[in-house]
Amino acid sequence: MSDGPARPSLFRRGGWLLLALPLWVFLYAANHAVSEWLAFRLLGLTPKSHLGEAVAFLFYDTPKVLLLLTLVVFIVTFLQTFVNPTRVRDALSKRRPGLGNALASLFGIITPFCSCSAVPLFIGFLRAGVPLGVTFSFLVAAPMVNEIALGMLFAMFGWKIALLYASTGVAIAFASGLILGRLRMERYLESWVQDALNAPALGEAEEEQSTLPARLDLAVQGVKEIVGKVWPYILAGIAVGAFIHGYVPERFMASLLGKNHWYSVPLAVLIGVPLYSNAAGVMPIVEALLGKGAALGSTLAFMMAVIGLSLPETIILSKVMRPRLIATFVGVVALGILLVGYLFNAIL
Amino acid sequence: MLIEVFGPGCAKCQTLEKHAKEAVEKSGGTHQVVKVSDYAAMAARGILSTPALALDGHIKSQGKVISTDDILVLLKG
Repeated sequence: MSDGPARPSLFRRGGWLLLALPLWVFLYAANHAVSEWLAFRLLGLTPKSHLGEAVAFLFYDTPKVLLLLTLVVFIVTFLQTFVNPTRVRDALSKRRPGLGNALASLFGIITPFCSCSAVPLFIGFLRAGVPLGVTFSFLVAAPMVNEIALGMLFAMFGWKIALLYASTGVAIAFASGLILGRLRMERYLESWVQDALNAPALGEAEEEQSTLPARLDLAVQGVKEIVGKVWPYILAGIAVGAFIHGYVPERFMASLLGKNHWYSVPLAVLIGVPLYSNAAGVMPIVEALLGKGAALGSTLAFMMAVIGLSLPETIILSKVMRPRLIATFVGVVALGILLVGYLFNAIL
Repeated sequence: MLIEVFGPGCAKCQTLEKHAKEAVEKSGGTHQVVKVSDYAAMAARGILSTPALALDGHIKSQGKVISTDDILVLLKG
């Protein structure tokens, strides 16, 4: 074809994707019946028994979470090809605290972000005149209000819980950035960062042009990469979820993470922080916790601690921040998560 | 041409470097691939997300792993 190499590629990719969609719907619809058949007929387990319920949860949840994740990652990665970090940076540059923090928290949800990009992004924002506190709002929101977690929550628990998660995450990012900005902690940046902030610019990234086939390719690539990387976490999460589902008595979970105990929220955060998983892996655990009578505030706090306060990201950020700044950063965010947990345990 | 691959050394950055080398091989030209992992250098060049790729000093792509074919197109263009 004479009009460029993009066209046949769109038809080929598009055709393939059109076949994938009905297949997805079929698998998703058949999942419940197939999982019950596997657990109760093929393996002959007794319904309502501990082992039967745990195994049925395992057979039901594994395909369900993987299917939902595939769809969510595809849609999210496709949409993210339209978001350009350079433009986000320019929109935040020289913003006043307050409005700047609010915008940064919202942009943090949609901007594609991986923890290996945290350092260049952090320095790039500061160089362009984005205030430190506003940059922090972005850095808190980006991992905490994870777009994939948001999609999964919406798919598994409905829009109310998804909205609750997004709005409280944005509130924490907004407040943390505002507080960290007030503390004037610029001097606790590592000295090489301060040098890099004042070094002359040697160039600026060009605006990239992209085509629909290229965007779809990136979305497919995103699915392969993310699903390929997180499936062990999902299986681990589902195994924990299945155990809770089949064996943990309802009263036990309610007494541990129920809303009437002052310790339930800090406990959820303490369990959550070292448990490094990712957004998708934690979903089956959240599902099982809620099903067993854990309070929503405690569960939300648990999820935010797992996703938003991760050890690897803290280690990466310690390359640019001195220990005191890191500790303040983690402390302020943890405090925000605790407050959210208590708030929702109190009002719901 | 000088092809620079920017990245701190995560898996994505290594994939992009591999693609760049494959593209050079396929193109048959005399291009040079250089890996840049210094954060200060990335900051000075205006890079916000990694991995990024530059041709003769111009940043052509950032925040994603572009394919060997895409790099070939860039080398020809």
